[in-house]
Amino acid sequence: MTGPDWGRSLQTTEYVVQDTSHPKSLLSRFDRMLMPFEDVANFLAATAIFMLMVLGVLQIGLRSIFNAPITGYIDLVELSMASMAFLGAAYCQRLGAHIRMELLVGRLHGRTLWAAEIFGTLVALFIIGVLIWYSSGHFYRSFTLGDTTIDAEFPVWPSKLLVPIAFSLWFLRLLAQLWGAIRLFLDPSLAPVAVVTAKAVAEQAQDEIHEVMGDDAASENKQ
Amino acid sequence: MIFGIGFSDPFLVGIIALVLLLALTFAGVRVVFSASVVGLIGLVELLGWGPAAGIVGTIPHAKSSTYALSVLPMFIFIGFLAFHAGMTQQLFDAARKWFGWVPGGLAVATVFATAGFAAVSGASTATSAVFSRVAIPEMLKYGYDKKLAAGVVAAGGTLATLIPPSAIIVIYAIIVEESVGKLLLAGFLPGAVSALIYAGIIIVWAMIRPHEAPSVSGYTWKDRIQSLPGVSPIFIVIVIIISAIYGGWATPTEAGALGAAVVFVVALLRGASFKAISGSLMESAKLTVMIFSLIWGVLIFVRFLGFSGLPEAFTAWILELDMPPMVIMICILLAYAVLGMFMDAIGMLLLTLPVVYPAVIALGFDSIWFGIIVVKMAEVCLITPPIGLNCFVVNGVRPDISLGQVFRGIALFFIADVITIAVLLAFPEIVTWLPNLLS
Amino acid sequence: AEIEGPKVFWKISMWGNPRALSAGMEEMAKNAAEATGGNFQIKIFYGGQLSGARENLDGLKLNAFEGAAICNFYHPGKNPAWMVFSLPFLPLGDPAVDRHVRSKLFEHPALIADMERWNAIPYVSGLLPQYEILGKGKAPNDLSDWAGMRVRAGGGLGSALEKLGAVKQTLPAGETSTAFQRGALDAAAFPFTYAHVSFKISDEADWYTTNLTPGTSECGWLFNKTAYEALPPQYQEFLMSQRETIMETTQAAYAEQDKKNLPVFQETMAQVTYSDEQLAEFREVAGKPVWDEWIAANSDKFDAQGLFDAVWSYAEEAK
Ligand code: NA
Ligand code: NA
Repeated sequence: MTGPDWGRSLQTTEYVVQDTSHPKSLLSRFDRMLMPFEDVANFLAATAIFMLMVLGVLQIGLRSIFNAPITGYIDLVELSMASMAFLGAAYCQRLGAHIRMELLVGRLHGRTLWAAEIFGTLVALFIIGVLIWYSSGHFYRSFTLGDTTIDAEFPVWPSKLLVPIAFSLWFLRLLAQLWGAIRLFLDPSLAPVAVVTAKAVAEQAQDEIHEVMGDDAASENKQ
Repeated sequence: MIFGIGFSDPFLVGIIALVLLLALTFAGVRVVFSASVVGLIGLVELLGWGPAAGIVGTIPHAKSSTYALSVLPMFIFIGFLAFHAGMTQQLFDAARKWFGWVPGGLAVATVFATAGFAAVSGASTATSAVFSRVAIPEMLKYGYDKKLAAGVVAAGGTLATLIPPSAIIVIYAIIVEESVGKLLLAGFLPGAVSALIYAGIIIVWAMIRPHEAPSVSGYTWKDRIQSLPGVSPIFIVIVIIISAIYGGWATPTEAGALGAAVVFVVALLRGASFKAISGSLMESAKLTVMIFSLIWGVLIFVRFLGFSGLPEAFTAWILELDMPPMVIMICILLAYAVLGMFMDAIGMLLLTLPVVYPAVIALGFDSIWFGIIVVKMAEVCLITPPIGLNCFVVNGVRPDISLGQVFRGIALFFIADVITIAVLLAFPEIVTWLPNLLS
Repeated sequence: AEIEGPKVFWKISMWGNPRALSAGMEEMAKNAAEATGGNFQIKIFYGGQLSGARENLDGLKLNAFEGAAICNFYHPGKNPAWMVFSLPFLPLGDPAVDRHVRSKLFEHPALIADMERWNAIPYVSGLLPQYEILGKGKAPNDLSDWAGMRVRAGGGLGSALEKLGAVKQTLPAGETSTAFQRGALDAAAFPFTYAHVSFKISDEADWYTTNLTPGTSECGWLFNKTAYEALPPQYQEFLMSQRETIMETTQAAYAEQDKKNLPVFQETMAQVTYSDEQLAEFREVAGKPVWDEWIAANSDKFDAQGLFDAVWSYAEEAK
């Protein structure tokens, strides 16, 4: 299993963005339709991280210098964490960055590989589907029965609503990957579209290098 | 109920679930999915569909919205920014000027540079990757043995998880409900001890085989002093984090935010582009999502374990064994060594701690001490075959050094790690002294 | 067995470790097993194994477990009427009065209605002791000394201290001691005495208030309504008959703690004892306005005035 480490690739090489052979195929269009939504969602998560930094510095300053801490600072942070924890899920899935054990699947090829991918994606679709429905229930309870934070009594429901929203995007991305895997299972000779191929650990390591050093380092290594 | 066992036999339910979890994980199902789906199935067995699925639906939000976890995105962001601010090169330059003269000087300098970078990064693999590029070419230029050069970089990377900031330590603190600040402090000395033992073993090795690891001299005190301003942001971050935790003037999240802001400003002053900054942020967001997904996914499985009663049954069983606690502890550590060969550190801790931790505490061990020992074990697994990821990273950056050579180069540091763990077992004060100053 | 009946297994969700707050329920669980010859098994799951503290009401609504502890102030919006317990300066300083008032309130329609929404029924109060404030530095012997003081205090008590000019600090309970110890905080309010000891605040403080009795909160026990209604009547009767025993055991556990802690407090800290006039003034400045605000803010949700008045009339009864 490769580590949930601090440096992973933004531009993972194995992800095939464009399918030049069928530029207008339905799958291709679905795939590309999802991307901007995923990018924006991850960008919002990134913005939340930046704001968390700003808020933390402000809190230290206001408290230490002016003895006037931000009311409900902890509540604000807790409410904002849903954006960091969930919004990037589909983006992360597209880039194959949710961790898994590559020991076996990394050695598969052709039909067996795509069969394994189909199985893994079906499991994912099942649990994310269940989570969309029941995290909506969690949101709905807080919306109808009431729920506020401990200190400043901010309403909690907007934060809970982010879970089913982010997971729905994740579900769509998984659907695209399932579709892509079935297509390749039927004909492994096709050009991959909307799939993340399994990688050997060594390739995974190569990704980490890309990530910290950028593309030039990787191309240097190939020379 | 699916299997018809229900609450009657915690061990049986737990073992069926564990086998299913391992099968799905080995089949390549991503851990967030395999853990949560098995947790759901287990809960359905115990509670029926409605309550089980309902409970599962509460966990992602509930478990992610904890203030203590908000320190993670801050620590992650610091690491990415520090790299973009060019801190690695400057660290290595400073370290060689200060330590180059000792036997094996460049390798020793690499150890201290990785330890320094560990203070702004919690990434073992990223640290190894970066220093493979910075330090290995220099060492080879001075005639260092390839195996040693590769080994020191792979091993040095592991320091990143012990020395704060460290994601794994934060996650441990949250699972076992210990103070995040205390645990972060606790990692500091063991990280430093690990670095010193690495350095010591290099020096001994270099004295035996000087031609494989020559020293580098010729630097003046002026050179040394002049190398310091470049690395000062790292010391600022260390001072912020340690003094905030120790002095109580900021929570770990706030200290992380301030540290990130400092490195952010340094990166801007050093001309980091908007693209580099926004790239760091996008990367931080992706990594945050990945870690949080792992956390709530595994905690769905852990919720099932809680309902099953397995943790208590396991604790009772361990206590009935009537063996000396230290013998049991060594067995547990060996089990972690085996698990760590196949699993990544965070997943391993999340999955095992709910069962193992209560037993360890019932045996009378200190929870902070155990956390650091376990994290150190997980780090050793990053440099051991068959899938020591740090070694693959080094081999990836330097394809001219074969994987076999990297693993052979690691042998020396593996010995150092075994010594470190033995030292921490014998002298728990190394772990507990700093955090105990707090109370 | 004393009580005949079917085999039943009840799971009760609780966060944290076994403690004084859970002593009474543990006693009840033991009695249940004994009285039914092991047929009625009640197990308290600690450490949030079944649910986080803030999701216990969700868990009851979902029928995931048969009982749970809650603290009203963890989720004010989930139990608005229950926030009455967190109002400052309620006449609950005397443990006997406190016990009577809370027992009656647990049967009050507004509190029952709050729980009804979550498919829960109030069972028995945890009888959280009155808060007192421990602090460092200059002792606030006059009410004016509170101005500018940095205090960790939540809910109605926090609002009350703000009326005196104190600066309310938000901190997780676990981080309090560190902040306190190093001068980031001047004072902290917790249930007296055991919570001050368990959060290690007493090790550092220079003074403590002995008779401010500024208020308390409710951390109590609920049952899942569906599960309770499905019980045979003899089990239901048994549970309801246990409430006095539970409260006695719990209060004894708190008293046990006080017996250990108070001599240490008296030895290591200065005592801040207010005169009746000072207390009356404090109540005037920091009590009434907070009550009025709370009643006004909640009148559209339930009979807030009626509930507030009930507290005082129950207290009157007990005297
Ligand atoms: Na680190
Ligand atoms: Na390994």
